[in-house]
Order: sequence, then C-alpha cells, then structure tokens
Amino acid sequence: MPLEKKGQPMGKYKYDVVIVGGGPAGLSAGIKLVEKGFKTLLIERGRFCGAKNLFGGIIYTSSIKEIVPEFPEVDNFPAERPVTEEGYFFISKDGVVKILHTKRDPKESYTALRAKFDAFLSDYAIKKGLDIAVKTRVLDLIWEANKVCGVIVDRPTSLEDKTPASIEAKVVVLAEGVNRVLTERAGLVDRTVEPSEVVLAVKEVLQLPKGEMEARLGLGENRGLAIELMGEVTLGLPGTGFLYTNKNTLSFGVGIFLNKLMDLNLKPYEILERAKALSYLRELFNGAETLEYGAHLIPEWGIKAFPKLFGNGVLVVGDAAGLVNPLFREGTNLAIYSGLMASEAIKFAFEKGDFTEKALKRYEELFKESYIYKDMLMIKDLKAILLSNSQLFQVYPELMYQICHLYFSAQGRAKRDVIREILAIIRRKRGLLGLVRDFLKLGRILW
Amino acid sequence: MLNILVSIKQVPDTTNIRINPDTGTLIREGVPSIINPYDIVALSLAYQLKLRFKAKVTVITMGPPQAKNALKEAVEFGADRIILLCDRKFAGADTLATSYTLAEAIRFLQREELFDLFLFGKQAIDGDTAQVGPGVANRLGIPVITYVVKIENLDPIHRKIVVHRKTEKGIEVLEAPFPILLTCEKDLSPLPFVPLENILKAQRAEPETFNAEGPLSFQRDKLGLKGSPTQVKKVYTPELKRIGKIYNLDDVSLDDVVSKILDVLRERDLL
Repeated sequence: MPLEKKGQPMGKYKYDVVIVGGGPAGLSAGIKLVEKGFKTLLIERGRFCGAKNLFGGIIYTSSIKEIVPEFPEVDNFPAERPVTEEGYFFISKDGVVKILHTKRDPKESYTALRAKFDAFLSDYAIKKGLDIAVKTRVLDLIWEANKVCGVIVDRPTSLEDKTPASIEAKVVVLAEGVNRVLTERAGLVDRTVEPSEVVLAVKEVLQLPKGEMEARLGLGENRGLAIELMGEVTLGLPGTGFLYTNKNTLSFGVGIFLNKLMDLNLKPYEILERAKALSYLRELFNGAETLEYGAHLIPEWGIKAFPKLFGNGVLVVGDAAGLVNPLFREGTNLAIYSGLMASEAIKFAFEKGDFTEKALKRYEELFKESYIYKDMLMIKDLKAILLSNSQLFQVYPELMYQICHLYFSAQGRAKRDVIREILAIIRRKRGLLGLVRDFLKLGRILW
Repeated sequence: MLNILVSIKQVPDTTNIRINPDTGTLIREGVPSIINPYDIVALSLAYQLKLRFKAKVTVITMGPPQAKNALKEAVEFGADRIILLCDRKFAGADTLATSYTLAEAIRFLQREELFDLFLFGKQAIDGDTAQVGPGVANRLGIPVITYVVKIENLDPIHRKIVVHRKTEKGIEVLEAPFPILLTCEKDLSPLPFVPLENILKAQRAEPETFNAEGPLSFQRDKLGLKGSPTQVKKVYTPELKRIGKIYNLDDVSLDDVVSKILDVLRERDLL
C-alpha cells in the first residue's frame, strides 16, 4: 500500500509534470510537454542523460522525427552510421550462414551509442524549455488523498534548507526503466520482476586497427551494418546476439534470458568471452580492443505482465512498462511513442482539469489504438515459446550451416545423394515432424 | 565578504585514457570530459567556504567551446559567475602561455573586484605539471601555497588564513594574509552533495566568454601555440614488462606454487 505523505513542506518546486528518468521515453514525453506549454521537470539519476543507459543500438528516423522534426539534418548528429545492410548471421561452431539485405533508404535507421544519442535529446529538450535535474535520484512518490502529487528526491532543497527536496506536480510520468521501483510503489504492479521476464544483455564496444572493420565487413564509407546473431553465439540458449557498426567501432553483444543464465550459473562476461571464441567472431575481432563494456536488463515480460499503465496522477512509459518488441528489435522506438502518447494524455487531463485515473486512462486508450498494442498482442506468447523451445536456438543455426555446407560443396557427387544426405541430417537433428511443428509455432505468432 | 576565484580545467577522463599508437596522440573519441579532479577539490572548498562565510565565487577556465560544460558544473558548486576563455588563438598553450592568459584575464576581472582567495587544483591529471597555479600567482605578484591539505583557520575579518601544506618531509603549517593563491590536494575538502536548487541553476547557466579580441587585450605572441616554448615531441605508453612467472592452478597444485614462491624468495635472500 502506498504511504500517505501529508504535511510535506510544498511550494519551492512546483511543476505541472515531473518525469522520472532521462531515457528516450522520458525525454520525448518532456519535449512534447514543454512544446504544449507545460512546466515540466525531468529527473535523471546519471551524470547526464544517457550516462546509465544502454542499447544495442539502432535508432529509427521515423520515431525520432516525431520529437525532432528536422532529424537527420541536425547539428551534432547523434548517430554513427546509416544502416545500409541489415540481416541475420546464423552462427554455428564451424562457421556462419549470413542473410543480408541491402536497404533502399539508408536514412531510415542509424547505428548509435546511447551516451551520445540521449545526451543529444536532452540538449534538444533543454533548449525547448525542459528542466532537467541530473545526478538526482527520486526517493519516493508524494501522495495526497490516494493520488500521486509529486516526488521526493535525494538532494537537499537549497543551501539553507537541508531537507530532501519535494517537487509538486499534477502528473508524474514514470520513465524509470526496467528496474521499475516507483511503478511498484505507485501500486501499478504488485510484484517485482522475475528473472524469466528479463533478458540480460551484455555489450562491448570494440575497436579494430584502423581500416580493419571496413575491410573485414566489406563496408564502404558512410555505410553501416546491423546484424542479429543467432545460434551458438548465445550458447544455444534462448536469446540473440547483435553486431552493429559504429563510425570507428563495433557494438557487439549477446542477450540471454536471465533465468537461463542463473540455471547455468553463467557470468555476464563469460557469455561474451565464449561467444568471441567462436571461429567466425574470433577472426572478426582479431586484434580488437574493448573500449566499453556494459550490461543491461531488457524488459521482456510482455503484454500479459504489463503493469497498469496509469493511475491517479501517474503514468508509466518505456521500459518500465515493458515496451519492447524483441522480435522486431523495437525498444527505443516504442519508448519514444509511449512518451508521445503520455504527453497527449496529460494534455487531455489538463483540459479536463482532472488528474485522476479517469482522465489519465486516455493514455491507455491511445496505446490501444496504436500499432504497438497490436504488436505486443501479436508477440504475447513469444517469451513462453522461446523459453520452452531451446531447439530453435540450438538446432537450426547448426542445421543451416551443415545444409549450406553440403549444398555448396556438392561438386563431384551425384546431387540426389547430397539431397538425401541433407534430409538425413534434418531427420537426425530435428525430424521432419519437429521441423513442421517448429514452423507452426513460430507461424502462430506471426499470423 | 570573501571573494573567491577558482580556476578549473576540463580534462579527458584518464581512468580510461588511450593513446593512438600510430600518431602518439590521445584518442579522445568516446572518452568523456570531466573537471580535473583536483579542481573539483578547489570547487568543493569554495562551496564549503560559501556555506560558512558570506562569499562570492567566480570560476574561470580556458578551453574549447565544450569546456562550457565544466563551468556549468561549477555552478552546481555555487559559482556566482563563470567565465570561459575560448579562442583558437588560445589553443595549444603550454603552462607558460596558459598562466599568461589566465593571469591577464584575472587581472582584468580584478579591475572590478579584488579576489581574496585564488583556488587552483594542485595539478591537472592530463598534463601533471602543477605549474599553472604558481605561474599565475607569480604573474599576479601574489604569494602561493602549493599542495594544501587542510584549512586550519580562515579569518575573514583579519583577512588571513592558516593552512597545512604537504611536503616530502611532512606537513608545514603556514599563515598567510589575503590575497593568497592555494593549490589544492585531494584531501582538502570533501565532495559536497549539492542542493537541487544548484543542479537546476547549473542547467541554464551560460558563461561569459572572453576571446583573444576582448573584452581585454592580450599580447598575441604570448598566446596559445605561439606563446608556448614547450613542444611535445612524442607521447607514448611505456611498455609494461612482466617478469613474473604465471602459474595456472589448473596445471600446478597450490602447494607446488607456494613452495616455488618460497624458493624464489629464499634464493633472493628475501626470507
């Protein structure tokens, strides 16, 4: 039960809206709110927005344009390379099968690093009039008559007043990320996150000797790769890896469901070290220096386990809500859209002069009208299927490699024999029935 | 009222510094800039003094446009006025040119108001020369106390200060009248947990910018690369030589390793 906190000295800090968390969700909500004329404060724990944030990372022009219409024609361009080729690498112990697609419009998406991208958004937001308090942690929500009406932060109020600063607000937007402590405090979800609901992603930024990245990946200037890695790279566990090209560095990482890591007692760095030892990646990263190392949880609890998205005086956006589509690699995107929808709902609440659930329900309505809701429904069983069908990650990448190997080195043999051998491998590895079943399972998600 | 000037420098975060082996220059990409940690001590001290006495704090830095961020951070520490010395002509300055530029700017500021205390970090973690503080003091003709580890007493009425100074032989206790320039050692002041008010103020703070053209005039040949007799010929990372033997406990038993270590120590008469 939320704690009633009455009699707090109010008045020094008074805002229309307070946003907790300076990621894309919080920042886009903030930008839109100040544009609509609301006095808004965003509170960020890190040294700057982006300091504590991590993603794979690709940013999509269409969603960014919603908050920065002039993007990508901006000063201090916050991204690395345009994504000109995208695809999947199926990695087995022996080698790799690559599926690559050259994109028609290179301005559609870019590889990016969060420290830079979020800092760009925050600069943009400050210029628009958003107040941002960095290095400040929200300790608790302030309640009045069962409605959230502000936050208390760890910093003292002023030089003279040493008590933790209280900030009054009509609406508090929780953009606190996967570790959704305040969402729990707000009573919007009644339990902490389970290990089976989150993916632990571990990422390195690697630098190869000058020119080597371009040479090894066949990259031209201002061209970029965004690759998802499947198979042995996650040690055959449910999860994926990724490989994105930045200006002069590579972002490489692996994400695996946390419960699986716990079962196997695997340390985050061990996952990456093992992945990097695979023949294909070992060659690719030969001579590389690790510039950055990071890890982050990805909220993959799915729509079935969503917190309530709104309460009296409070909304939840971005990762804190679980707005991630792992199948289509959307996270940042969804965070931005949720920030936009939250700002719309808040505008609606101000028009009504009502900041209770009744008016803020507008946010959920907007969400349900959006494509995100449809997508989240579509993948609602994805987590369960992935977690209970390890063969998808173990068998298929290996199978693909062996089939390709036989097909491409079939010279000097009767081709019918080769095809027979391929079918025999399939039968041995998965069985034709199993193959059909797996396809049906995945098909059920997609159709 | 105590009038304090703090001089700071923005430096690359050298905890993860890397040098390009081909060019011998710093790889700045991806390396975040921070305020030199010893300058943070100076800012912290200014903040503490402001809490105890009525004080005005002016913070100055010389650097590229992004050094503005260091000055904004200084506002979190209670800076009342922030000044950025920024011009291409200032670039490439060694300690001589830097102290000239800073001293001229401070002299200009002193036409308006005289400073009682000048606080500098003992050295910057990127160059480690520890020359700019004393260099500025010398040019301004004021006394300097380097490596200050403690303020024992500050008497704003009699306008004097008693400080502890770290030397190789021990601690010197010195008394000095204002004005005085101190260079700060790391234990001099704890890092304050500044109020929300300061954090918010810092976000919108904009420094006054001085360049080579004004508002004060500089002697051109004393600025930047031109005014710097120091030439960096080569920067390199000294090679780490490991002469120790490494035994893998998978291959050798712990007892074996221990007895091997003991053998070596006995061999060298260390046991």
